[in-house]
Amino acid sequence: MSSARTASRLNRLLGMLPWVIAHPGTTVDEVCTRFGYDRRSLVADLNLVFVCGQPGYGPDDLMVAYIDDDEVVVEMADYFSDPVQLTAPEALGLIASGMAMLSTGEAPEALRRAVDKLAAVIFPEAGEVLAVDLPEPGMVGELRRAAADHEVVHLVYTAIASDRTTERDIEPWMVLSTLGNWYVTGFCRLAGDERVFRIDRIRSLRPTGERFEPPAETPPPLVSYHRGDDDVVCEMTLSARARWVTDYYPVEIVEDTEEGGPVTIRFFAGDPSVAARLLLRLGGEAKLVSGDEVAAEVADLRRRILARYRG
Amino acid sequence: MQKVIERILNLLAFLLNVDRPVTADEIRMTVAGYDRSSDEAFRRTFERDKGLLRRLGIRLELRPTDVWEVEHGYTVLPGSEFPDPGLTDDERAALWIAAQVVRMGGRSSGPDAMFKLGGTPLAPAGEPLAADLGTQEDDLAEVFTAITVRRHLAFTYRGRERTVAPFGLAHRRGHWYLIGPERGDDLIKVFRLDRATPVTTTGEAGGFERPEGFSAVSFVPNAPWEAGDAIETTALVRIDPELAWWAERQVHDSAAVTRLPDGGVELSLRVANPDALIGWVLSFEDGAEIIEPAELRQRIIERVAG
Repeated sequence: MSSARTASRLNRLLGMLPWVIAHPGTTVDEVCTRFGYDRRSLVADLNLVFVCGQPGYGPDDLMVAYIDDDEVVVEMADYFSDPVQLTAPEALGLIASGMAMLSTGEAPEALRRAVDKLAAVIFPEAGEVLAVDLPEPGMVGELRRAAADHEVVHLVYTAIASDRTTERDIEPWMVLSTLGNWYVTGFCRLAGDERVFRIDRIRSLRPTGERFEPPAETPPPLVSYHRGDDDVVCEMTLSARARWVTDYYPVEIVEDTEEGGPVTIRFFAGDPSVAARLLLRLGGEAKLVSGDEVAAEVADLRRRILARYRG
Repeated sequence: MQKVIERILNLLAFLLNVDRPVTADEIRMTVAGYDRSSDEAFRRTFERDKGLLRRLGIRLELRPTDVWEVEHGYTVLPGSEFPDPGLTDDERAALWIAAQVVRMGGRSSGPDAMFKLGGTPLAPAGEPLAADLGTQEDDLAEVFTAITVRRHLAFTYRGRERTVAPFGLAHRRGHWYLIGPERGDDLIKVFRLDRATPVTTTGEAGGFERPEGFSAVSFVPNAPWEAGDAIETTALVRIDPELAWWAERQVHDSAAVTRLPDGGVELSLRVANPDALIGWVLSFEDGAEIIEPAELRQRIIERVAG
């Protein structure tokens, strides 16, 4: 048995004991719901408690733990009345999760109070030590409700790479935020397949009132950039000032220098225009090393933009 | 696992009850489940148990057993460094849902922590919302601890070793930023956490003081072009009708918006970092144009012309 599972089981047991001690008369149902037990695993844990206690380990030394009718009983275990304290990563993890949820506008008032209470005990001095913000384009709530209710939504959507606007009906499964962007995953009726849409590129959406049959098991959401087989690849050298690119895009470092000097990267995108826009934006701070498709796209984009400014 | 949990429950029950430091030897001879014949077997088991208890957050400490400090023994400090936050059931439920939805590099900050807070009064339902705040989970745990107990962090950043007082931590646009001054310096800097490797805690707890009224969020700008030392200028940017909606959505409240008769918009933006603004305008390709100031207009033309 791995020590992670042992730790997890012990952690739950040490959470359950003080709670039962503080709430005499509590029921099996309540304890199971609160601590995620089924009846069998609760009985197993209580049986463990029953054979432990003070050295000597006679009847007067052992703790008492059993189920009486529907009541959970723990006695002679007062030394376990205090809950174990949260570790710093646990506490800040909860606060960060709460702040992230609050920033979506999709959280109840109770969450604000919970976050404030936790922050007040972890950081008693004034000030805001932690800040978590998931800016969202204002449709997360509506898409979340549609996904929860299995309602088909009609989207007007502009693809990032091609800038083409289309209208389509989708069956939304999940709404998720990763790498700083919000996405909705689901079955796209236009494509006849599973698709992921960036929410900030949804121009408008309308619930249709039609219900769909959700998949028996929602496929695991895409939580990181996955390279497609037909993605465009190019190599570029970035000056020290353009190094931030390595922070914002999923790139491979081809050649790096010490102390923040120039860096050569391999850049991937679903469409050459993504790389072209980036190169123009970087101007003299980036140099395309290889990638013919991207080079052609840069030339075209340069021509179009200059035409606009020079009238 | 059964045996391990029994042994640890017995150990904890004993330490919590005796109210004095207990030597390893006494534990070995008194607490059920420890090997009394082999020194090596006992030592290994006891080390593992201590590690497990500390990972759970139990404050197991070594203290002198008497005033002459000849012998040292183990004791569990009662209660908690942090007072009970006193959550109500609806607050626990809200926190539980948030912990389910928001993950740190694939890992939930949930149930282990919630069990310590009295469990959750609601069974989790099928929640279609998910968010992931980043991937370097081990570093994050280290940083969380250092921030809480005010210890310094040492790491390599841009090829140089640094020791930083972690005043705060902010998450924005998919990344964690560590905020604080380097040791021996007053200037507060911002470090991208995933570019800081490897992160280790160093120095004593309480090794620095946070300035009064410190606010992590004030170090992370709203829009990229606002990130700079001071606002330099106000720029006017025209966006074509086709893309106006997308531009408006991105600037949120940081721009004054004028709608044009053709359906396009003009945005008035406060700019501290002109390069960032040029980058943003170029993301619209030939669907956007800097109108004013002339100097910035000239700059974007030069940039594109190469």
